[in-house]
Amino acid sequence: MKKLLSLLALTLLVTPALAQQKTPPPAGAARPLNLPKITEKKLANGLTVVLAPLPNVPKVTAVLTFRSATTASDREAHPGIAQIAASVANEGTDTRTSKQIKEELRSIGGGLSLFSDADSTQMNAASLSEFSSRLFELMSDVAQHPSFPETEVKLAQENTIQQIRAGRADPGFLVNERFQKAVFGNHPYGFVVADEKSISSLTRADLRSFVTKYYLPNAAHLVVVGDIDPDKTFAEIEKAFGSWKSGTMPPEENPAVPQRDKRQIYFVNRPGSIQSAIYIGNVSIPRKDKDYFAIRTANTIYGGSFYSRLTRNIRETKGYTYSPFSSSNTQAKTGSFQAGAFVRNEVTGPTLLEIFYELDRMRVLPVTDEELNAAKEYSTGNFSVELASQQGLAGRIATIYTYDLDKNFINDFRPKIEALTTADIQKAAAKYFDTYRAAIVIVGDWDKVKDQVTPFGEVTIYDSEGNVVTKS
Amino acid sequence: MATTIMVSSILATSKTSAAVVQPKPLNIPVVYYKLPNGLKVVISEDHIAPVVTVAVYYNVGMRLEPKGRTGFAHLFEHMMFQGSANVKKFEHAKFVEANGGSLNGHTDFDYTNYYQTMPSNRVELGLWLESDRMRSLDISEENLKNQQAVVSEEVRVNVLNQPYQLFEWISLWGNAFTNWNNSHNGYGELSEINAATIEDVRSFFKTYYAPNNAVLTVVGDVDVNEVKKMVEKHFGAIPSQPSPVRADLTEPPQTKEKRVAQTDKLANLPALATGYHVPPQNSPDFPAMALLVRILQVGESSRWYQRLVKEKAITLDLSGGLNYFGNEFDYTGPMIMTTRTTYKPGHTADEVIREMDAVIADIVAKGVTDKELSDAKISYRSNLYDQLEGSMGKTHLLSALALFRDDPQQINSLLTPFENVTAAQIKNAAAKYLVATNRTVIDRVPEAKAQPKSGQ
Repeated sequence: MKKLLSLLALTLLVTPALAQQKTPPPAGAARPLNLPKITEKKLANGLTVVLAPLPNVPKVTAVLTFRSATTASDREAHPGIAQIAASVANEGTDTRTSKQIKEELRSIGGGLSLFSDADSTQMNAASLSEFSSRLFELMSDVAQHPSFPETEVKLAQENTIQQIRAGRADPGFLVNERFQKAVFGNHPYGFVVADEKSISSLTRADLRSFVTKYYLPNAAHLVVVGDIDPDKTFAEIEKAFGSWKSGTMPPEENPAVPQRDKRQIYFVNRPGSIQSAIYIGNVSIPRKDKDYFAIRTANTIYGGSFYSRLTRNIRETKGYTYSPFSSSNTQAKTGSFQAGAFVRNEVTGPTLLEIFYELDRMRVLPVTDEELNAAKEYSTGNFSVELASQQGLAGRIATIYTYDLDKNFINDFRPKIEALTTADIQKAAAKYFDTYRAAIVIVGDWDKVKDQVTPFGEVTIYDSEGNVVTKS
Repeated sequence: MATTIMVSSILATSKTSAAVVQPKPLNIPVVYYKLPNGLKVVISEDHIAPVVTVAVYYNVGMRLEPKGRTGFAHLFEHMMFQGSANVKKFEHAKFVEANGGSLNGHTDFDYTNYYQTMPSNRVELGLWLESDRMRSLDISEENLKNQQAVVSEEVRVNVLNQPYQLFEWISLWGNAFTNWNNSHNGYGELSEINAATIEDVRSFFKTYYAPNNAVLTVVGDVDVNEVKKMVEKHFGAIPSQPSPVRADLTEPPQTKEKRVAQTDKLANLPALATGYHVPPQNSPDFPAMALLVRILQVGESSRWYQRLVKEKAITLDLSGGLNYFGNEFDYTGPMIMTTRTTYKPGHTADEVIREMDAVIADIVAKGVTDKELSDAKISYRSNLYDQLEGSMGKTHLLSALALFRDDPQQINSLLTPFENVTAAQIKNAAAKYLVATNRTVIDRVPEAKAQPKSGQ
């Protein structure tokens, strides 16, 4: 023991710096952020091409966005057609079978998939950079000449129907579907998936005319990021996409955004559920809105980061849940704000109470300077991390065009975040964290939790298929 | 033999007459050394963005948790965010986020990691935070109870309240392995998660969370010499501990096929999972097995996907791989190749198995084509680049190589054994390992249930 002690004393004497430091070390000098040079060009057919070299690995990432092909396109005649078109477009072209496409992708170390949402259809692709010209040729073929083979269409219809059936067993699917419908009502943003009859009735001809009408170069942008030489890459893109014919842009729709006038509960009954899946929220703003940065930062403080108020309250203090969250989803025409948590049945009511308490606290009292500064650092620091990955940078650039943002969005991000005041945050919260007119969506076992839920408002109960079962 | 892949690239490219670009050799700078207390340190400079990842990987995972304490390694991971001598409960998150970073931890079969990615001028903050909890984790009864509740909700949300309940991991491992360390439920039984005591936490910490049982990795826009000084300052005086006595993870060889039938209260569609024991990583068969897994089931061009989802159209999806959670390098114990597929009503598990077997039989009889093999190698290379793209992905590979092989420099030659695989070796691996006696099959079908009763 004595020997040990003296050894320790000696250590302390020789290297006093090794004592445990009690306070966090200060930051070093900030390292320069050298953003890749972003070049924008246009092909004669109207396709916008945006290039950004980011040679972190010998790969290339490409995002082709069709702004005119959304889940709202052709929705009256063919609900769900955009999603089926997106899932079958890479299953055969006029000159390639599905299998040939997949095998060619494997031989260039690549991938290519499409998905459709309320604002666009996106083709996401990547490959080894040495094969970029082959990747562009494949992308162009899929964009221009999808053939929608009969067997592939049938298979996609059948599988989509089964996947939706499988999804109806998953509380995550159900709570999201009901939330979109509750918040956006009949607005196109309320669409999640089509019913089985609509999906089954789609034909190959419908799909072909859909892509002819909506997959247009003059309503698309192609963002390419990676280990590229911009001039050489642009030449490859011109070769691959140059022959694509432009078309007439479909008229832009601007359907009225629904306004909620009261707090309502939408309960999806899932007998046997041992948790309640809770989403609470409301309509917010389009991405272009001047309040974007304020609501984004209010969300970071409320529930959008790990050290957020909601996590500290219902997870770290009360232990109600594993992953409470909130998110601000701003899109082209409008957006939504939502908070949520998956909690054991016994604490369903107490969780609603705390979610509302924290929302109201944001509306009524200003956040502290410390909280705001932390949120600013969080946003700007993580923004740099996002831009350091090919997918992150490509996705971020693509949103500038999808949402028609200022071209300086990336460079302006830091100054706009840094300019925010606690008053801005409170104002945004007061406006958009609207507890009085919120939609409360819960997926759970009604018999087990109804007594905890009913004090919060009028309830409409749905089954997992989306049918109204009863109104309380 | 690194030429195999280049030759195939040139051949593939020449068809389109595009300029041939040689694959760039990997040249990741790696500095590796050990502190006197046994801590392994890996530093890799990368100046592409002003970002750094600081991570500590501990050489303990789910397999080594105590009997009667399933889920404990993961519960313990949560306790590492509950405060240490100079960092209060949950303040680790506050420090990292308020300095522009993000953070997390993960419990795997054979390791548990903690990491933060931050602006690179905050590197010392990350080192200080990790050193403070390695040296002086502070555990209270109240915080343990709180995290037992949180982890119980995590198990409910990800397992118990979900259709299929992660059967392709938890049940498959439970049935495929016989050694408790490999077979037990690593997410944990709620009763055992909640039975854990402060004493359990203290003893686990002392045994496994010592510098001589860990790797510290720093990757990003930093200066190696400055980081070395900081590492010495914050980790140099943390005392080492006696090396833990490690449980025996060996598995007796499987000699008979195992078939398990299950019902699911929540699922709407039937699903099937299979697991085949794979050769150990130091086996000469391993690289061929890893490529065979890709040829069979990675991506939409894979043989099983093409057969089951496309040609026969009897399943909806196909997923899985050689290591359920990770890659070829980030585990040490026995492993099974996992496959999971949701099949369509009107079909049976036997039918799915029959088709999977027909694909295997074809490879055993005829082997794979040269093109199939060279494409698998290209897709493997591309996949490795994806893992190396960000500072966290690079951190992960470097840490695993330091932890399990004591040689993170291997990151620059990881592809070589895979590039050298021949078609004959693939055929041989299929014949040797993809046999019924080496597998476990679970068929999980929806429990016949009455029409859901609606609320009154």
